[in-house]
Amino acid sequence: MQQGGGSETEVTWEDQQNINKFGRLNNRFHELEDEIKIAKETTDNLEDASNELILTDEDVVRFQIGEVFAHVPKDEVENRIENMKEVTSQKLEKLEEEKQSVVAQMAELKKILYGKFKDSINLEED
Amino acid sequence: MASSSSASGTVVTERRGIPGAQFVADVQTYLTQSGLDVNSALAFLQERLQQYKLVEMKLLAQQRDLQAKIPDIEKCLDVVGTLQAKKGTGEALLTDFEVSEGIYSRARIEETDSVCLWLGANVMLEYSLEEATALLQKNLENARASLEVLITDLEFLRDQVTVTQVTIARVYNWDVHQRRIQQAVATPTQE
Repeated sequence: MQQGGGSETEVTWEDQQNINKFGRLNNRFHELEDEIKIAKETTDNLEDASNELILTDEDVVRFQIGEVFAHVPKDEVENRIENMKEVTSQKLEKLEEEKQSVVAQMAELKKILYGKFKDSINLEED
Repeated sequence: MASSSSASGTVVTERRGIPGAQFVADVQTYLTQSGLDVNSALAFLQERLQQYKLVEMKLLAQQRDLQAKIPDIEKCLDVVGTLQAKKGTGEALLTDFEVSEGIYSRARIEETDSVCLWLGANVMLEYSLEEATALLQKNLENARASLEVLITDLEFLRDQVTVTQVTIARVYNWDVHQRRIQQAVATPTQE
């Protein structure tokens, strides 16, 4: 946290709570970015998998369930992959929404805190 | 300079062994009340910060463990679900499983009513499919609940860290401010 120039700006409990909230939101923002990255990778993998599935001419596909690869008929695998794609894309959508909300809240808090403390506070990523 | 008299701090009770950081509304009052000089106060606050960091490491490690455990349980549920679906179809389930790195073998799983679950500590128990599903479901819920509590603990801890960091900055600034005032007072009298 940046040291001020020895100025004596009052820090009220409300200010402290705003600062705390900003810290929490910042953490959540980074977590969300990681989760979104993973969800995007999963979506790509599922996309690749379903493309491969179209190309293959086998009737039985080895589909991973848990730690083993079960022999599953191609149709069933197609359905499973469709479901997984649906679930993942919904999850991704929710994560993106939450990220938008977090970013908006952080911008709000930045306005308030910079307004009061100006140079005495640093809210940027290093 | 001093603001209108307000309580010198809002005390947050501790949470599950983590002491709450006292919010300081006025540095002067805080130093007078605690009877510490600036350096001792700063040292005390720095030490508190270190303790918080230690606890944070511990909690983060626990969180990572739980976050690894949950997908594991979900995979087990998947397998049990598949076995249950196969029941009644009369077909056997063919699977390829890893024997060693890169080497797989084929297994033929006949219709079955039970599975064995690894409970840890070299213990494995046989359960009916329904019992196994129920047990795994319960474990999953417990793990998720523990994770929730852990995340709330971490949030509380981070708040305390932020409060302590802000207090350290303010005590330091107050000190710099005091020295400046004293210098300004000292200089005119020398004329």
